[in-house]
Amino acid sequence: MYNQEVPLLMHVDLNSAFASIEQQSRPLLRNRPIAVVNRRTVNTAIVTASYEAKALGVKVGMRFSEASRLAPGLVAIESDPPKYRYVYRKLVAILGDYSPRLTMKSIDEGVLDFHGFTNHRPLIDIGYEIKQRLKDEVGVAMRCNVGIGPNRFLAKTAAGLHKPDGLDIITSENLRAVYGELDLTDLTGIAKHYDQRLRAVGIDTPIAFLDADEKTLEKVVFKSIVGRHWYVRLRGFEVDDREFSTKTVGRQYVLEDRNLTRREITARLHHLCESVGFRLRSQDKLARGVFVYVKTIDHQYWHASRMVQMPFYSDTSINSLAQALFVNAPEGIKEIGVRCYGLCGGDDNKQLGLFSDDIVRELGLVGAIDAINYRYGDRTIHSADTLSGSRVIKQKIPFGSTRYL
Amino acid sequence: MDDELYLNERIKVVVSFGDGLNPCRPIKFKRLSGREINVKEIGLGYPNMSGRKTIHIFDVTDGQADYRLEFDSERLTWRLTREADHV
Repeated sequence: MYNQEVPLLMHVDLNSAFASIEQQSRPLLRNRPIAVVNRRTVNTAIVTASYEAKALGVKVGMRFSEASRLAPGLVAIESDPPKYRYVYRKLVAILGDYSPRLTMKSIDEGVLDFHGFTNHRPLIDIGYEIKQRLKDEVGVAMRCNVGIGPNRFLAKTAAGLHKPDGLDIITSENLRAVYGELDLTDLTGIAKHYDQRLRAVGIDTPIAFLDADEKTLEKVVFKSIVGRHWYVRLRGFEVDDREFSTKTVGRQYVLEDRNLTRREITARLHHLCESVGFRLRSQDKLARGVFVYVKTIDHQYWHASRMVQMPFYSDTSINSLAQALFVNAPEGIKEIGVRCYGLCGGDDNKQLGLFSDDIVRELGLVGAIDAINYRYGDRTIHSADTLSGSRVIKQKIPFGSTRYL
Repeated sequence: MDDELYLNERIKVVVSFGDGLNPCRPIKFKRLSGREINVKEIGLGYPNMSGRKTIHIFDVTDGQADYRLEFDSERLTWRLTREADHV
């Protein structure tokens, strides 16, 4: 039994978003293979590739040196967060004109829910209008995929059917036919691990997945409620209309040079701690734990963490905990990262000490520094220790979250 | 990798202020060397906050190279900050 209701969910997705925005912004790059990278070095990883680059085999995450062998003439463009934020805000403004129930899933995709609104135009018309408005209000090179379905999963699936400029609709009538054209890993949420689990019990196509009974999925394949969720989701019923709270706030950095001294690396760690502290406070959160990790050039992974009794939120507290953990990190480091966890929110947790006014002073100092940085620009005031890192560690945009946009 | 120059050059700009969605449109600009560049297309124009100060950025092309022009809305100055030929 599939969900018979008229599809009222619309998924809008700017595919290859950063690359498309760069091609819009720099007309000479249109119709050329380009790769957006976080740093203009040959060993940098590709954040986004244009459709022209993807057609030549370039994939996200690939090293630029490897990609440029596949796609001669590949142009590296350093990511430009303010530009992407601007297009994100434009997209939010456009989508917000059609339904108040808008959820941005990431910087380049949003979901419109038309449930409860009976007096709207056909969703297909709205989809085409959104495409046209994106071209009119951002630029002629901008394209997006629109998918319409009875639940979020099918709307997203529909949006992925005809990239880069498609508009598709999935209903209870064509649902089986659509699944018949796809592989298991084409389904959002089915990657290598779940693919192996499904194939282990003889489910090797989306159709077989759809036809599997609920008990098999729940008790044998996924061994949890996840199996039931998949059973319901595949049939077009909604199970993904949920908000997830922030569990951690973190930042990582791939060292620009593998011959940095320990002192230089701790300065970069300090820079990351300041960045994490600023993000933490921008979410009005406090943390109770710090987690530090290191990846080495010989592919080792080291990590350490510490939880403390009193919640904290200042850069100094985060940095002192992180540096204490980092003392035990191995040599030969190529990547470092720091995360705050055990988050709690609001003013209620900024508890003052009974016998000391240190926390009162910290509250005032951190508040003043943040106010100056908001007014005069990011990192107007920062620790002198992080000066060397400021040259190389730049502001980046997380793909899967809209919390810091 | 070396196809992009990062600059900080004061320039003179001819701009039209019209109507529509993008009312401010650079038409041409003159570099310190005296060279005049006619803007063939504005790729993207967008505001960027530097603290509370707004800098309006215009990524433009003359058909030969891409340029970034920045208008400081507080000081009312124009700067050329990038040039890329992507050959």
